[in-house]
Amino acid sequence: MKRRDFLKQSTLASSLFFVPNFVKAFENVTKNTFQHKKLVIIQLAGGNDGLNTIIPYTNDIYYKSRPQLSIKKNKLIKVTDELGFHQSLSPLKNLYDQGYLSIINNVGYPNPNRSHFRSTDIWQTASDANEYMSSGWVGRYIEKYGKNPYSGIELDDSLSLIMKGENINGIATKNPNVLFANTNTPFFGKLLNKQTDEHLSEHNLGYLYKTMIEAKSSAKYIYQTSKTYKSKLEYPKNPFGGQLKTTAEFINSNLESKVYYVSMGGFDTHANQVNRQSNLLKTYSESIEVFVNDLKKNDTFKDTLILTFSEFGRRVQQNAAAGTDHGAANNVFLIGENLNKKGFYNDAPNLMNLDQNKDIIHTVDFREIYATILDKWLEVDHHSIISKKFSTLNFI
Amino acid sequence: MKQKHIQHLFWRASFGINYNELNKLETKSTSKVVKELFKDSKTINTLKVNLDELLDVKLKSKKELKEIYSAKELQKLRNKSRKKVRELNYAWIDRLSENKSVLREKMTLFWANVFVCRDNDIFFIQQYNNVLRQHALGDFRAFVKAIAMEPSMSKYLNNRQNVKRKPNENFARELMELFTLGIGNYTEQDIKESARAFTGWSFKRNGAFFLRKKHHDYNQKTFFGKTGNFNGDEIIDIILDQKQCARFICSKIYQYFVNPRINKSRLEEITTVFYKDYNISNVMQYIFTSKWFYDDENIGVKIKSPIELLVGINKTVPVKFNKKRQLNYLQKMMGQQLLYPENVAGWKGGKSWIDSNTLMFRMKLASLILNNAIINLEEKGDFEDTFEMYYKKAKKRNRFIKTTKNWEYFDAIYSNISSKELTETIVVSKLDKDTENFLNNLDITSNRDFCVQLMSIPEYQLC
Repeated sequence: MKRRDFLKQSTLASSLFFVPNFVKAFENVTKNTFQHKKLVIIQLAGGNDGLNTIIPYTNDIYYKSRPQLSIKKNKLIKVTDELGFHQSLSPLKNLYDQGYLSIINNVGYPNPNRSHFRSTDIWQTASDANEYMSSGWVGRYIEKYGKNPYSGIELDDSLSLIMKGENINGIATKNPNVLFANTNTPFFGKLLNKQTDEHLSEHNLGYLYKTMIEAKSSAKYIYQTSKTYKSKLEYPKNPFGGQLKTTAEFINSNLESKVYYVSMGGFDTHANQVNRQSNLLKTYSESIEVFVNDLKKNDTFKDTLILTFSEFGRRVQQNAAAGTDHGAANNVFLIGENLNKKGFYNDAPNLMNLDQNKDIIHTVDFREIYATILDKWLEVDHHSIISKKFSTLNFI
Repeated sequence: MKQKHIQHLFWRASFGINYNELNKLETKSTSKVVKELFKDSKTINTLKVNLDELLDVKLKSKKELKEIYSAKELQKLRNKSRKKVRELNYAWIDRLSENKSVLREKMTLFWANVFVCRDNDIFFIQQYNNVLRQHALGDFRAFVKAIAMEPSMSKYLNNRQNVKRKPNENFARELMELFTLGIGNYTEQDIKESARAFTGWSFKRNGAFFLRKKHHDYNQKTFFGKTGNFNGDEIIDIILDQKQCARFICSKIYQYFVNPRINKSRLEEITTVFYKDYNISNVMQYIFTSKWFYDDENIGVKIKSPIELLVGINKTVPVKFNKKRQLNYLQKMMGQQLLYPENVAGWKGGKSWIDSNTLMFRMKLASLILNNAIINLEEKGDFEDTFEMYYKKAKKRNRFIKTTKNWEYFDAIYSNISSKELTETIVVSKLDKDTENFLNNLDITSNRDFCVQLMSIPEYQLC
């Protein structure tokens, strides 16, 4: 047994003396069903402009559609004969060069919705465009295979739909100390210590007590486990860097959580896009590079897959305010050590053939990516999580 | 009427009842109490925020506006309209805490989650909100027809883009899937045909409905087996002919007002009542005077919505939010912002209000707004925010919810009652045995403190 594992197990064991029996029952469920593979999901919230992220620098339509916004050939990082990275993405280019990055172009879904809220719902629940679901795909995964709130952690203070199941949800925290303190106020502590397991049969009341007990034990577990590893690397000093740093600490402390979700805001660039997006991509890629190095240093990168998506891409044609409006299909990044198909997974967007809104048409359904991750990475049947069957891809 | 039953009625038909009112009603019969509840809700008080400064802009055409204002000024005006929507949200929550027309207000809140709509235009959404209020206890048929003509709804479900040359099915689909029949109770062909009946439906800048005749499809449509030159109103009539429509609405009513778990024979019972005339008052009166409504299995088993929780506390200890934005923050953290539903399906309610984070927050709510508890959690940024704005909220650690509390109001009613009576008034759900023991052994220093403690136990999350 590794020393770290031993420490972890012994702290858990000692803490069990203080909790009633039925709480132990909740905690035990996860032990055997868990494997070590981790998934980190990053949403670039607001709709990242994929065309100015991965630039089709030989495409005339691109330059004609964006007289002020297009990125000149000499101001980008060329990676293939037709595609180049935005200058701010040189850290991402390093990952690309090492074979750690796979870019899937033209990802979307039929009848794309251009509302942030609705399209985020669709991506987070893995629904069709005209289907309304009240649980997220990660939430359903947690419910079925994790069975404990800490199986999925959102790096925030409140939980997004993606992390919600029907009866079991993930848990949100930006800071395990704060979460732990909030579940351990003297009043709640005393209230919970008095609990036997009688109320668990009661319908909604039982559900509340169960949720409260799970919250408390999850908060305690996350707090106690994650404090065993503090990252020594220097992350960019911004909130997104902070979120990734905390994620790395969770992963590197061998927390048994399977899925992490981070939302990075600011991508709704309707006006003055050039500088704004440049800063955003810089923040994103610099933080990601440190994150990957942090994981590599601790030998956890091989077991971690990072998925980056945005709820939609942006319109090909720029608008009058030197920005871009809501579009449709977009590129998705996968970062990991064990990628099957390194670099570009498929062809660049076809700008000759746009939809009726003059947006990019999807060639890959985002649920094919989810299905692939579920089947091949998390090793569960995707059909048990996503209501339809999708063909899987071979990026992993 | 039994005390428990009065509390049950008032938690479902309103946001709870205070100790004095409760005592007054105990000598009355159920039918009398229910009758008074309806009588009190006869009048319709429209909810309005002051829009004088935007009035001029509202009635001018885009072209006229462009001549008067610069692009920057126009953006400012749009932002002002958005800000006014938040003001309407605050005014609505204040309204819910009042002791007038309580049933009408509760029904308005209910309907807002049936006919779900969202709009940044304050004039339209305010008008929409008052249409809900106006029809809340009236004729369901007239209600659906009114909703279908509202500018906010037309915008929200793209009915303005629904024209003869190129029908847009969004409104027709949601009308049947979410507003009247439920999924699976119509065909795709029904959607196609009915969408044609709503083509050309539009509205004027002042919010009035008008039909763009050249965009309306006057041809024959076949809908639910009937063929004719149906217009939108006639389509709605055909939908209401289906008993499934009454059943669908009644199942929502049952889950909201009676029990989140449906009892099938009770549902059929009220469906038959509602189907007779689609009169909302009649079916609600039937429910509230039914013996089974007061069965133990229906009392204190519903998880309060965030708004029910907040307004319930506010009705016991009136609170004014000194920083209105913090009221917005509380709604966001608990997952229910009035006027900002997440999507057209509305809030699912019940267990879906609860996850580890929202539950801990909800149990802390009373101490946050009544006891100056420290809050160290941040709301999520908005999609439209810049990176800096998105994360800005994260910088203010350890702050308070700044409120002015009217404890004197509470003291006047509750200061001299026993802790047992206070418990029974504040908590309507039955108490978990262990928690009851815990409360019995608490060192009670004052009824004010004890009230906050009662509001912090899981049982207070139920009504």
